[in-house]
Amino acid sequence: MNKIAKLFVTFISAITLALVSFTSSFAKVEGEYIVLGSAISLTGKYSSNGVHTQNGYNMAVERINKMGGVEVQGKKYKFEIIYYDDESNPKRAAQLAERLIKQDGVHYMLGPYSSGLTKAIAPVTEKYKIPMVEANGASRSLFTKGYKYLFAVLSPANQYLEVAIDLAVEKNGGKGVKIAQAFEQDAFSQDVRLGILDAAKRTGSEIIIDDKLPKELNDMAATLAKVKAVKPDVLVVSGHTKGALTAIRQISEMKVDVPMLAMTHCDAAKLSKQHGKKSEFALCASQWHKNLSYKDKFFGSGKKYAKDFQKEFGYDPPYQSAESSAALLVFKDAFERANSFDRDAVRDALVDTEMQTFYGNIKFGPGGQNVAKPMILFQVRCKGDDCENRVVAPTKWASDKFYHPIPKWSERS
Amino acid sequence: MEKVKQKDLILYSGLIILGLAAPYLFSAFKVQLTYLCVLIVLAMTWNLQGGEMGYNTFGNILFYGLGMYLTASVQVGMFFPLAEWTESGGEKTFVHTTTQYFQGIGVGLLVAAIIPTIIAGAIGYAILGLRGHYFAICTLGLGIAAGEIAGGIEIIGAGQGFTTPPFPAEIVDAEARGKFFYFLSFALLIGTFVFVKYIYGSRFRLILNAIRDNEDKAEAMGIQTMKYKIVGWMCSAFFCGLAGGIMGGLIGYIDSTDVAFDGREMGVFMVLMAILGGKGTLWGPVIGATLFHFFKEGLWTLILGWQYVALGVLIVVIVVYFPEGLMGWLREKYPERFGEVIDEKDRKAQVELK
Repeated sequence: MNKIAKLFVTFISAITLALVSFTSSFAKVEGEYIVLGSAISLTGKYSSNGVHTQNGYNMAVERINKMGGVEVQGKKYKFEIIYYDDESNPKRAAQLAERLIKQDGVHYMLGPYSSGLTKAIAPVTEKYKIPMVEANGASRSLFTKGYKYLFAVLSPANQYLEVAIDLAVEKNGGKGVKIAQAFEQDAFSQDVRLGILDAAKRTGSEIIIDDKLPKELNDMAATLAKVKAVKPDVLVVSGHTKGALTAIRQISEMKVDVPMLAMTHCDAAKLSKQHGKKSEFALCASQWHKNLSYKDKFFGSGKKYAKDFQKEFGYDPPYQSAESSAALLVFKDAFERANSFDRDAVRDALVDTEMQTFYGNIKFGPGGQNVAKPMILFQVRCKGDDCENRVVAPTKWASDKFYHPIPKWSERS
Repeated sequence: MEKVKQKDLILYSGLIILGLAAPYLFSAFKVQLTYLCVLIVLAMTWNLQGGEMGYNTFGNILFYGLGMYLTASVQVGMFFPLAEWTESGGEKTFVHTTTQYFQGIGVGLLVAAIIPTIIAGAIGYAILGLRGHYFAICTLGLGIAAGEIAGGIEIIGAGQGFTTPPFPAEIVDAEARGKFFYFLSFALLIGTFVFVKYIYGSRFRLILNAIRDNEDKAEAMGIQTMKYKIVGWMCSAFFCGLAGGIMGGLIGYIDSTDVAFDGREMGVFMVLMAILGGKGTLWGPVIGATLFHFFKEGLWTLILGWQYVALGVLIVVIVVYFPEGLMGWLREKYPERFGEVIDEKDRKAQVELK
């Protein structure tokens, strides 16, 4: 047994040495770089949106650095981001946040993708008093916790599809409508559901189907069969990218006729490209659309951003990328106004943020959510086989009229 | 029980001192060290079934997840209405005082130990009659089903997840939380180790081994195998429940399928770690879990996006080259160090037979 014991002693000391040798700590600001940290979903169920988010961050970092960087106390700094893959898992995300802060010495964080992961990371950044500007955690409950270091550039999740219900009621002559809904069992989609519940109550609408969809979403035929049977006025589906893709695929396969179809994540799913005409008339909630008239000096207009993004990454930017880019603009602005790298000074500067970016106006409410920007709705419309997302609400930016009701499948070519 | 040998004593006290000093020596790594303790506990308890009893269970994650939800629910429910805490994804905010927090987590952990144990007894009674692959598949189903069911129960947050009570704000030291959870998990690790070591010196282990080697024969010899199988599983459930409870508090956010009933990660990892180190040995799971954790933390981020491919390769390497795990491999190479006596004459005689 004693040799075994020796073996263990050797083993343990090797580990100890290894640990000690890699306890090196970066500084929050290294040379000319301001180091930001982010755990992002590069693998797992959110990987496609995780990549959209990362592309958005990278695009903004590159642009800001190229255009002179961040000026603090007369010195120019550049942004740099340390990424880890959180595997779309809240447990991993919380652990990586801890790692970024404690081991990599990061003092400013960028958010992960999705509400669930943001919920897991926020307590950690809060504990260490690390300002986090996040662009992809929309759950309403994030903004009622009294977090002081959390800032979200996007509108809360419950606002996503409320407008869609209002539209349906309006088309119904102001009377309540029958709603069928199916939501993925995750923090974000369930929050969208809460918004619908509120809207239904407000408008006197009735919810006749209220289904839950599993997380690894690739089938919702059971819900659609019910929809076929009970004929609701509106069908609401939310389940990130996979939810949008699955809904359109199965609705067209099963030829489900419903006057109005409201969804989330259509642009992230590249619905109009992937499903073409099958996705026509789908109504989608979005944080941003390239046709909006906001402007800033880094990206110009939304259209310019979309063009540059297309050139860089080869696809049309979904709002997830746009809002992520905006997060960097917010950080830059806050650093410059704080004129310091003190975390609390930066935090206070973030509180006072009031700016316009290509993505929209940004001003943080008391809970950290962006209160200056409305949600928009677009509808997929096709000309021949060429499909496009057209803004239909709010009317201020609408480029097209809302098409209602959706023609029956038997009448669609 | 045999007297603890002097050499062992040095080893154990050394390890305990290292364990106690670790959060101060490697202050930045407290969370990872806490994970390590929990991983070792999971691997060691899995080894009781998978290694000693020959029942490959994927169901231990059930007790881990239950422990997590129970601890958090009790911790909240003792002082506030649980339904309001989790309503609408946890919109309302209640704040625990320092005393409430620690009382809550104490009672919560107690419940997290007891209830999974009882449930293990009940489920065990129902399904431990299954053998081999049937048992494995059945337990696999248990974990998945539990995740889906938990995702539908409103009072524990359903799909929106359950934010566990934040560490009391009155404690200003930012390191206190990390230390608290580390020492909690370290205590659990010591408790588990002592318990498993005790089992290794007892008749109970021999019975488990008999079940593994030939269950029918064991039964024919008058051993009530069912009873022992159930008790064995209940022991694992006890420690898994505690491990889950600690992890829930540490992570701070419980999601039904990704954090609590995380069969795809934790559920697979515990099996993998036990096999990597060598199942059916006392130290195997400990070494396996440690190596695995270092591999994961060290290499994972260097190969962003490819980590699961690397994990797959690791599994293949383990299965092909170390089917008996590291301890098994060492034992084969240096049997005398494991106290196995080889009769040289006998060995030579066998060689000469050729």
